[in-house]
Amino acid sequence: MTTPVLSIRNYTLEYLTGAGPVRVLQDIGFDIAPGEVLGLVGESGSGKSSLAWAIMRHLPKNAREVSGDIRLGDTDLRALPGRELTRVRGRRIGMVFQDPSTSLNPTLPVGRQITETLVTTRGLSPKEAWTEALALLGHVELRNPEALMKRYPHEISGGEKQRILIATAFGCRPELIVFDEPTTALDVITGAKILELFTRLRAETGVAALYISHDLALVSRVADRVAVMKHGKLVEEAPADRIFRAPQHPETQILVDAVPRPERRLVHDQPGERVLLAAQDISVHYARRRLFRPAPPPATQAVGFDVRAGEILGVVGESGSGKSSIARALTGLADFSGNIRFDGRPIAAGRAMDRQYRRAVQIVFQHPDSSLNPRQKVGEILARPLRLFGGNVADVGKLLEQVRLPASFADRWPHQLSGGQKQRVAIARAFAAKPSLVICDEITAPLDVSVQASIIELLLTLRAETGTAYLFITHDLNLIRQIAHRIAVMRGGELVDLLSIDAIDAEHVHPYTRDLIAASPTPVG
Amino acid sequence: MTDLLRRLVRTPQGAIGLLLLLVLAAVCLFGPWLAPQDPEKIDFLGRFRPAGAENWFGADQLGRDVLSRLLVGARSTIPMALAATLLGTVIGSVVGTASAYLGGRWDEAIMRTIDAVMAVPGLLLALLLVSTLGNGATNAMVAIAVAFAPGMARVTRSVALNVRNQDYVKAAIVRGERGSWIVFREMLPNVMAPVVIETTIRVSFAVMLFATLSFLGLGAQPPASEWGLMVADARQYVHQAPWILIAPSIAIAVTAIAFNLLGDGLRDAMNPRNER
Amino acid sequence: MSLSWILRRLLLIVYTVFVVSVLVFGITQVLPADAAVTLLGENATADALAAIRDRLGLGAPIWMQYLRWVGHAVTGDFGLSMRTGQPVGPEMVAALGRSLLLAFAAIALMLVIAVPLGVVAAVRQGKLADTLTSLVSYLGVAFPEFVTATLFAMLLADTLQWLPATGYVSPFEDVWGAVQHLALPVLTASVILVAHVSRMVRSETLDVLHSDYVRAARLKGLPERTVLMRHALRNALLPVVTIVALDVGYLLGGIIVIEEIFAIPGIGRQLMVAITARDLPSIQAGALIMSATYAVANTLADVAYAFLDKRIRYD
Repeated sequence: MTTPVLSIRNYTLEYLTGAGPVRVLQDIGFDIAPGEVLGLVGESGSGKSSLAWAIMRHLPKNAREVSGDIRLGDTDLRALPGRELTRVRGRRIGMVFQDPSTSLNPTLPVGRQITETLVTTRGLSPKEAWTEALALLGHVELRNPEALMKRYPHEISGGEKQRILIATAFGCRPELIVFDEPTTALDVITGAKILELFTRLRAETGVAALYISHDLALVSRVADRVAVMKHGKLVEEAPADRIFRAPQHPETQILVDAVPRPERRLVHDQPGERVLLAAQDISVHYARRRLFRPAPPPATQAVGFDVRAGEILGVVGESGSGKSSIARALTGLADFSGNIRFDGRPIAAGRAMDRQYRRAVQIVFQHPDSSLNPRQKVGEILARPLRLFGGNVADVGKLLEQVRLPASFADRWPHQLSGGQKQRVAIARAFAAKPSLVICDEITAPLDVSVQASIIELLLTLRAETGTAYLFITHDLNLIRQIAHRIAVMRGGELVDLLSIDAIDAEHVHPYTRDLIAASPTPVG
Repeated sequence: MTDLLRRLVRTPQGAIGLLLLLVLAAVCLFGPWLAPQDPEKIDFLGRFRPAGAENWFGADQLGRDVLSRLLVGARSTIPMALAATLLGTVIGSVVGTASAYLGGRWDEAIMRTIDAVMAVPGLLLALLLVSTLGNGATNAMVAIAVAFAPGMARVTRSVALNVRNQDYVKAAIVRGERGSWIVFREMLPNVMAPVVIETTIRVSFAVMLFATLSFLGLGAQPPASEWGLMVADARQYVHQAPWILIAPSIAIAVTAIAFNLLGDGLRDAMNPRNER
Repeated sequence: MSLSWILRRLLLIVYTVFVVSVLVFGITQVLPADAAVTLLGENATADALAAIRDRLGLGAPIWMQYLRWVGHAVTGDFGLSMRTGQPVGPEMVAALGRSLLLAFAAIALMLVIAVPLGVVAAVRQGKLADTLTSLVSYLGVAFPEFVTATLFAMLLADTLQWLPATGYVSPFEDVWGAVQHLALPVLTASVILVAHVSRMVRSETLDVLHSDYVRAARLKGLPERTVLMRHALRNALLPVVTIVALDVGYLLGGIIVIEEIFAIPGIGRQLMVAITARDLPSIQAGALIMSATYAVANTLADVAYAFLDKRIRYD
């Protein structure tokens, strides 16, 4: 039996806090064999990042290692003094981080940041390092490496930055590379390409990898084995193709069930024919012309669509595609040109949106932390729309129960709630107005998959109870394919496709839509 | 509120700052009763008497008790600085919030003008104003308030802009709330915290600025025992009696430190990341 | 750096000087001082007063007076001092030169002390060096200039007799004498700056030390020295340019007091003298020149920062 590249045994870690020690990792143990990819999956707070820092020997000051071993080949990493550690990092373990835009020094040209690493870890001369860097950049499919090397990080795209960081990590020829959510901060298609690159380089070099992610579907595609973490414990470890087919542990079961699968439809009815909202030629303008500075182009260009009563219309697109601008236009938060008709009545502009329209069209925002006023209790937050739109203020408790929260939450402050609970309050606030259309702007994006699944379930129950239509904005194509009746695809401020859900696999879809579908990883098995 | 106080006291800066300020407040309120002697009582036999049983902090060039003058002088120093800062904050926050609320070209015009006004150093602006309004404590107070207003306007505006972009304010706009509700109920409570912190720290500058104006002969007028004035009086007798200079200097510094500490403590205590 | 960005910066200076000129002129015009009475004294005859008012254009509407003043000011003509009868402009510019010498020396001394202090405090966060630095900065910002000046003078000039207490010597005539005479004022001026800037340097350095890219540099296996020197300090010290520029405003205010105490014939002292004597043209010229200096210093700092920091987009 060969020595594993990384071997962790009985590892337990605590953070010392004002309220006493908090255990973040409990009895962790696993091996990574040479050339193997171990996927590590868990939701936020499961301890997967703490484990990565423990392996990299970069723990915060209040961390206390209670027990266990971390071995890299024959080296006991916990016993290494700081000086020797520098010789292990980069040379024997590399790391690729979540956010490429903050992982590069903003004031050094990127070429310099690659060569300095090669000089230190591989002992190359600056000249050799430069040549090597050029070769590495070419190898990760970056065009014109010569020019790229002289650029500063802010001058290149996120995808290019991540390629550079991956090239650097592989270029040091380590035994193990730790990948910490390397595609999470990137757009869907860019992320898919990075994933392809990872798979190719891994196959070429045969380096072992620990791939950390919250996305079980994604990990099951890139890893040989998958380990699932929950509350600091390793609950299950299995070959990647088995984790979806036959999850053993109940926690894994929950995770597997929560992963959105396009083929598993959650909505089975058909919307009515009556058009609720019709939007024509909507162009959103943010900035105006200023002195010595031309006005930027509009965020969306002449977009048109309609929403029928009780319909779920999905709007998908990458960041900057203009999908949120549509939400802002429909709610009067952004200036726009074009026509909106609601229930047959024309709505000229943001200022012309009357009480009736504002009651009927509600919005739920992306960030639960910023969508509730931190200086108002939940009860006050919910009472306001009730008072404003002719509801009964005594119904706050009922509203909370409607979104599956205890009525006693009315006395809580927002900071006492979890992210999912805050989002439920925001949904309750929208439904307090008895709306006929609710705009959901990426409302599940910051949430864990299991919480996301329960929020989706809640939205569908509320729809069944009230007959509300949803305009559901998201970047997650798999999720929207489960619930939407129709899907609008946006890119660069334009509407490139508007399809019925049955037509999404058809031949005549826009090539971009097809790319998006191909880039959204569905689970294996 | 009690919760905030508890967290404030838990920070070392907050605890020390609060303690010092309680002492200073007591001195401001009860100074004349606490003073062991009449601060104006002239005693030619006791001129330049060093610190001792008779005069704890020594006596000045006229034999007046330095401690008593300090205790009574607190009244003509600290409340003035406080009033100046509060007035400056009120003017500044109204302008700053209005600018953030109006937005667009108005905001740009107001902020550029405020930037321009801030090109005049604070002390110079105060000097110009006092020389126009005439010497005296009240005028100095008004001058300091006006000199502080642009800075406070900038702080308030940047906080208000930040709050305005929060989703709960957008939610209020979307449901069609009136402007006054949005400003007073949604925005203001969230703008208050950083403004209170900034104001607290600025009181220490106001104390120093006020003392400086008095030192230059433009603020409080003799025979008041304002601390800056006491330093100015003491300068020529440094050789004979350094204590009449050092005592008021330390009093000014302690006050400034107290407000600085309290401001830093408040910042820590109000930080939402430290909540729960 | 685009041309439009530079154009806008220049326009901003013009606007700043315009606003300041209105402000200064406005405030001084309300001064309860009748220029004519100031010039001729209390016992002047009504006829003489009327004549001089007519000559000074004091009968014209206030905006006409403002335009005339600005019109002359842009050519460098700020009128004659009511006190000395000499042209105000050249006198103020010469005084400004002496003040700038003091200001630059204070900034240089401050940088030499504050930057290492702040960096060490950040690197050794929570340790003794950090606590001492924060103590120094708390004390430093608590003493107004007139107090520090007096205490320094008491200690270094009167008691120890190391330095002259007051006066000014031109460095062109006697370099050593100039250094000796400037030592106390420079020391005084730098105290508050050191306290403020070291604190800012500390917090900037801490931010950078906790940034993702410094962590990435460490985990790439770079030696700690390289991480600190190449990746951390460079980025931490960039914003200091802007902080120092903002402090110039404070420094210019402080200079008024410092020059008054140490009897340095700089622009601050000229202003104090002018204010005491209600010498309108001198007050106006001094205040405008001082504020314009600050506006220019700030713009220069912005330009320098833009050169140094490649991230800024000049759109």
